[in-house]
Amino acid sequence: MREEDARYFQRLEDQLDEAFDVAERAKQRGGDPEPEVEIPVAKDMADRVENILGIDGVAERVRELEDQMSREEAALELAKDFADGRVGDYETRAGKIEGAVRTAVALLTEGVVAAPIEGIDRVELLQNDDGTEFVNVYYAGPIRSAGGTAQALSVLVADYTRALVGIEQYNARDDEIERYAEEIALYDKETGLQYTPKAKEAKFIAKHLPIMLDGEATGDEEVSGFRDLERVDTNSARGGMCLVLGEGIALKAPKIQRYTRNLDEVDWPWLQDLIDGNYTADEGEDGADSDEDDAHAESDESDGDTTEPADDSDASDGPPRAEPSTKFLRDLIAGRPVFSHPSAEGGFRLRYGRARNHGFATGGVHPATMHLVDDFLATGTQIKTERPGKAHGIIPVDSIDGPTVKLANGDVRRIDDPEEALEIRNGIEKILDTGEYLVNYGEFVENNHPLAPASYVFEWWIQDLADAGADTQALEDDPRIDLEFPEAEQALEWATAYDAPLHPQYTYLWHDISVETYCALADAVAHGRVEDDADGDGTLVLEYGESTAVALETLIIEHRQREAENRIEIDDWRPFARTLGCEPRQAVTDGATLEPDGHEQASTIELERTWSDDDLSERARTWGHEEDGDNAIEAVNEVAPFQVRERAPTRIGNRMGRPEKSERRDLSPPVHTLFPIGEAGGAQRNVANAAKHAETMSDTPGVVEVQIGRQRCPNCETETFKNRCPECNTRTTPDYRCPDCEQRIEPDEAGRVECGHCDREATCVESREIDIHEEYRDALESVGERENAFEILKGVKGLSSATKVPEPIEKGVLRAKHDVSTFKDGTIRYDMTDLPVTSVRASELDIDVGQLQALGYEEDIHGDPLTHEDQLVELKVQDIVLSDGAAEFMLQTAAFIDDLLEQYYGLERFYEFEDRQDLVGELVFGMAPHTSAATVGRVIGFTTAAVGYAHPYFHAAKRRNCDGDEDCVMLLLDGLLNFSKSFLPDQRGGKMDAPLVMSSRIDPSEIDDEAHNMDIVSQYPREFYLATREQADPESVEIQIGEDTLGTDGEYTGFEHTHDTTDIAMGPDLSAYKTLGSMMDKMDAQLELSRKLESVDETDVAERVIEGHFLPDLIGNLRAFSRQETRCLDCGEKFRRMPLTGDCRECGGRVNLTVHEGSVNKYMQTAIQVAEEYDCRDYTKQRLEVLERSLESVFENDKNKQSGIEDFM
Amino acid sequence: MPLEASARIVSELTSRGYNAEREAVTQLTSADDPQAALERVIDTLPEDALVVRTDHVQSALVATDPDPKSMGGERDPASKLDTTDPPVSTGDDTATPPASGAGAPVETKGSSGVERSADPELRSLEIAGDMTGESTGTGEYSDFVSVFRDRLERLGSTLRGRVNHRPATAIQNMPGGGEVGMVGLVNDIRSTASGHWLVELEDATGTFPWLVMKDREYADLVGELLCDEVLAMEGTLADDSGIAFVDSMYFPDIPRTHEPSTADRHVQAALISDVHVGSQEFMHDAWNRFTDWLHTDQAQHVEYLLLAGDMVEGVGIYPDQDEELDIVDIYEQYEVFNEYLKQVPGDIEIVMIPGNHDAVRLAEPQPGFNEDLREIMSAHDPRIVSNPSTVTLEGVSVLMYHGVSLDEVIAELPEEKASYEEPHKAMYHLLKKRHVAPQFGGHTRLAPEERDYLVMDEVPDIFHTGHVHKLGFGKYHNVLAINSGCWQSQTDFQKSVNIDPDAGYAPIVDLDTLDVTVQKFS
Repeated sequence: MREEDARYFQRLEDQLDEAFDVAERAKQRGGDPEPEVEIPVAKDMADRVENILGIDGVAERVRELEDQMSREEAALELAKDFADGRVGDYETRAGKIEGAVRTAVALLTEGVVAAPIEGIDRVELLQNDDGTEFVNVYYAGPIRSAGGTAQALSVLVADYTRALVGIEQYNARDDEIERYAEEIALYDKETGLQYTPKAKEAKFIAKHLPIMLDGEATGDEEVSGFRDLERVDTNSARGGMCLVLGEGIALKAPKIQRYTRNLDEVDWPWLQDLIDGNYTADEGEDGADSDEDDAHAESDESDGDTTEPADDSDASDGPPRAEPSTKFLRDLIAGRPVFSHPSAEGGFRLRYGRARNHGFATGGVHPATMHLVDDFLATGTQIKTERPGKAHGIIPVDSIDGPTVKLANGDVRRIDDPEEALEIRNGIEKILDTGEYLVNYGEFVENNHPLAPASYVFEWWIQDLADAGADTQALEDDPRIDLEFPEAEQALEWATAYDAPLHPQYTYLWHDISVETYCALADAVAHGRVEDDADGDGTLVLEYGESTAVALETLIIEHRQREAENRIEIDDWRPFARTLGCEPRQAVTDGATLEPDGHEQASTIELERTWSDDDLSERARTWGHEEDGDNAIEAVNEVAPFQVRERAPTRIGNRMGRPEKSERRDLSPPVHTLFPIGEAGGAQRNVANAAKHAETMSDTPGVVEVQIGRQRCPNCETETFKNRCPECNTRTTPDYRCPDCEQRIEPDEAGRVECGHCDREATCVESREIDIHEEYRDALESVGERENAFEILKGVKGLSSATKVPEPIEKGVLRAKHDVSTFKDGTIRYDMTDLPVTSVRASELDIDVGQLQALGYEEDIHGDPLTHEDQLVELKVQDIVLSDGAAEFMLQTAAFIDDLLEQYYGLERFYEFEDRQDLVGELVFGMAPHTSAATVGRVIGFTTAAVGYAHPYFHAAKRRNCDGDEDCVMLLLDGLLNFSKSFLPDQRGGKMDAPLVMSSRIDPSEIDDEAHNMDIVSQYPREFYLATREQADPESVEIQIGEDTLGTDGEYTGFEHTHDTTDIAMGPDLSAYKTLGSMMDKMDAQLELSRKLESVDETDVAERVIEGHFLPDLIGNLRAFSRQETRCLDCGEKFRRMPLTGDCRECGGRVNLTVHEGSVNKYMQTAIQVAEEYDCRDYTKQRLEVLERSLESVFENDKNKQSGIEDFM
Repeated sequence: MPLEASARIVSELTSRGYNAEREAVTQLTSADDPQAALERVIDTLPEDALVVRTDHVQSALVATDPDPKSMGGERDPASKLDTTDPPVSTGDDTATPPASGAGAPVETKGSSGVERSADPELRSLEIAGDMTGESTGTGEYSDFVSVFRDRLERLGSTLRGRVNHRPATAIQNMPGGGEVGMVGLVNDIRSTASGHWLVELEDATGTFPWLVMKDREYADLVGELLCDEVLAMEGTLADDSGIAFVDSMYFPDIPRTHEPSTADRHVQAALISDVHVGSQEFMHDAWNRFTDWLHTDQAQHVEYLLLAGDMVEGVGIYPDQDEELDIVDIYEQYEVFNEYLKQVPGDIEIVMIPGNHDAVRLAEPQPGFNEDLREIMSAHDPRIVSNPSTVTLEGVSVLMYHGVSLDEVIAELPEEKASYEEPHKAMYHLLKKRHVAPQFGGHTRLAPEERDYLVMDEVPDIFHTGHVHKLGFGKYHNVLAINSGCWQSQTDFQKSVNIDPDAGYAPIVDLDTLDVTVQKFS
């Protein structure tokens, strides 16, 4: 580790220690469930593993083993330790196996996710039919978060330990084997598996597994065939088991085999058969069937996410193209627009590169595009994408091409400025091209997706130019030359002088027009004339023609269409004309030479087509991807006097997934204090109301019976529910008693409380009358607050933890005062969409250079001293950027913490913030769902984007990537002071999303390895671009990725990027999806946008919205109407059928329908209108017609349709 | 590689502009020399044929025998169907299918081989209970209340004579221990912890719980009960008058003494349903054989054809249905259905009601088709009435109901009392309850109207349903219950739930004796 990195971490840890001291002192004073901070600090993975499991000695052993072997091998080695009793204090053999399995899973998930504690319920010993014992591992749903490899290894470790402690193998009964197959199919149908083993495969695995896989029921659906088995205690699908068998064993067999080979104790010879798909080695009679299954399995795989590149044999017949995939369009949702149909012309052009706020499952879009798609895209908006992965988080990058639009006045312009985009937005007739879409190389590595042909861009061209022999360094140094956006003359000169391909800015989308169109366009240009304007460079004027206009639009060359004047005007026409093989020719009459300064020769330049259609080779004429001759690029290269590369061979389809998020996390209803008040507080759970509540006149107001944990004072034997004795202020302990014999039980060493006499588990939970009024008043008094300090103080109905320990109401009073609310574990959280950033500017973070320097930033990315706000500095690995909303919320939280310290714990205020600048440098926790470890981060600045920007390694440490994932931040002291395990719900998954341990520093080797696939270079080599044309395997190209620096001094630094962006927050601050009001507004906007986008088939969008949204809604509501329940408007009583009395049988009140005509047909007219307007197919229209008639028939009176005089007689 | 061969044949046919039935392709593929067979078939195809059917193939292949008679062209019904089909009970295999190889293309267009012998003057056809154009409900809460009150009123009237009826609220106020009777809708059925049954009856005043002891004779009947059917109970009030112990139970039922009416002459009606035109599984051949048969002497007494719903496969009945439709356009489905209807001899009277696949509202009662669809199906001038409706043919009343509620009866009742294998037994329960779809809130959908059109006011002579695609008939208290099969072969869905439909049968009822014969055409 470099010295500065060490200093950085030391600084973080010093700061952490300081806060820790305060928290420890506070805890000792207060009435919290424990007198100390409940989040242990883990310096490395070994620490985390030990803390998360709570098994002493694991960390030390892990560190020992880690130096010598891989993590998987260490897991097996630890299994030996458990078996021999060297690690863990287990008496039973089942316990030893359980310890080993949990440790293995924890080790393989870096001690971050909850799978080892939540995903494995228990290990038990059962009996085989021959009387021998076997091992049963009982999995639960959260094992999912461990991933396939860890799941599979858990089985191997269980078996290995089994062998070591001397237990027999499991002999599955036939009905159990059949059950596995049936159950996996059921689970796949109900929930879905990434990989679903076919029945044969599942049975094969079940038959050979040496241990039994069992688990909790996770669904409602039951198997129909193999029910009520003796050794399987549920008829529902056991999700955990299905995951382990399917995504674990079946999918990761080759990985397990690597380890079984080296172990003498375990022998899984059947793995080879499994890998070979030879399931029937010992069931000859079914051979034929199994072959068929194999064929299915193969075809299933090819349906997968990755689309194969075009066949090699085809490559020579046409341009290289990635195959379109429509998968991302599935389940299109009303109100979330499609931005481009699969690989559609006019859609996002794939540009390779990594911007500084990019990588790790994100996609770069030009901010002008974000505005032009009616603000539906904002920083952090998730999109579902065609390739290379499934989803991306959107980030703004303004160093790529912006969109090209056609305005109502006939101008076709490329918009590279977000401000300009806003100005012209209302005048847009069509978005011809959505601009470029930046994807980094690492994405293709991560998704194992063959490289798709690259757009021709500046980065590639400059290397082409160098390759052609130009001194590009000299050109770059020449201040008169803009290499990226050169003058047309300059571009032409380079192309001809060096024989290099034409500059990308003058390379149009020739591949999107047909050879025929190309020839026609050449004619049109040859018939055009050049009118000189004042600058002397002239404007090419063509005769207006529909086909010419369309061709120019397809090429996305900037021009002006003036239909009324019968002309089309193109500036900067020379590269265009010459690409068409049209050369300027001096008008003979004039006699003068063609001179740029010849103003007087205005309008004398004419153009001449230098070739005829017959000059084109057969190959050029028939060049095409979908049809022969639909791609003019070969013709262009034969005609033009220079090489022209394909400008945008790959277009990436995508649609909106979910909007970005930056919101406080409130429970529903929000909770200020985890104190139970039953129903007394009403639906709002208002503590003040509960304090006044009385069921009847004779009850004492505020006395409420609730389930609560019983505590006892060891000093004076007082019984209470508080953590400090109300009599003598001694800390109390839980008072466990046997529910049968009332005997008081002390927990044993393992924390078990079992009554020896009755064989029952003792409990400290009791139903107890609590005087809420008194508690509430006392709390107010103790913190010195009055009731008017807050609007409302909300408690909870009941506690869901095992011991039902309530939180002191005082904390709630102060939370209410500062308008913050708590999560189930006592912490205050703010959720943000995760986005990566590796270099930042002080200016965009709303901080100054001084603040950066104070945080230890000394130089910019070029090694220059830091002096002004616009310099880029490389972000340190645990520094994070808060959204404006998060900063505001953290200030509120800090004010709460300060009050809490002062008014409740009696300590000094800690934060004392005045404005948000004070937040800079403060520590927070980052914490993701499904994990149990918090990561310490440091605030470095703020962004207007509604996202949380941080180093990709920080996100990966939390086990998140950035494809629309979101997670939360907590203020450091809030976590330290208010988190308690005692509040966590006593149910499956209760320990997830809770900071059971914290990582104080990030070790890049111990994070989600997806982040290691991010590339960290400043330029991709020319070979890379050429390889994309071959649709090569991404691994075959040499580009440095994060993985390459692991374990070196450079592992924390050197994250270079290929593209800069002006600001990490550009484009709209919020997606239109969040700013538009009703679902109808969103859908209208969605359809409107689909019309405007060249790349979107609006009929298809309308179809999908109707099929996926309106029709199910209409049909469902109509069905519900004709079988509905009714409800009393007065007392809320529900009736299965309308009561014959008409009125409520309970209270005599008015009864009414629960589904009304209005709710049934609210979308009917809209749906019909949309189907009509967007020209949906007849099938859809007819379904709507039939439905409309049904509605009329049910809701209209046939007799009233033509009302006549007789209706009134 | 048979698949490859089929593919070749299909592409060969397509290239010549023909479509083909799957079975026809299979037959061609299995011919000794498929290519030659194909050529023969194409040579012998009628000029206007677009689809190569099995009968084309068969006739072409048979035509290699020197038998000029079966070579396309004019058909000769008399020669095609041999001996009389013997009457069969439940469509077992004793029914002789039409001789194979005789199925020359059917181009009847309404021309008839036989004249109906009888004088049309002798016919009579009356409709009752048709609510088409009479739907007055507007989906208000009060509409629902009215319809259930009407049900209790009408079905309860007969029961009130049988028990000493007291309103629910009056019973609550009676002294304990006395005898009491009540008529009401079943509101709730629960079993108690000790295994007895608690049946809550509801009338216009309120509800009252009735306890059926598990060891009493009536306990078995509890299993047959559906919510919202009307019934009467008699029993003893508990001491606190909070509950009554059931001594007897009465259903509206069909009187055992019911004597059905019969026609005065020998005349027959064909009772069918579930044609499902538009489905890939629609059995053209079976239908063609059926309509052919109607032109024969054997069928000369068949003067009425009743169709109990599901003329077409419909659109949007289940997700992604369009991928499994032969005809995707709903109007075209009815147009093609109309073409098939044209094959029925013009002098047969047709009555039809809609089913759940038809383009009308799904909620019952379902009005008959609207004007557009009637226009499309006008060729044969069928009588189109609502589901349910009662049609009286020469004095014999036939209650036609599509049968969606049968699914519910079969699901709710114990298997021995109602099953798909014996659909007529499920129908018996509806007859006993005198209501075609009693239970509200479950499978069956209800559209509230001013009166309950689903009540069986009058005892029908024949009860005709379809929907479950199983053939079954029998008599309950002298009422003939017939569930006709279907004209759609097993669908993928049916395969997945293991339903084997009875497809291609036509039950023929002698209206003078109410005897049933089943003709098999598949």
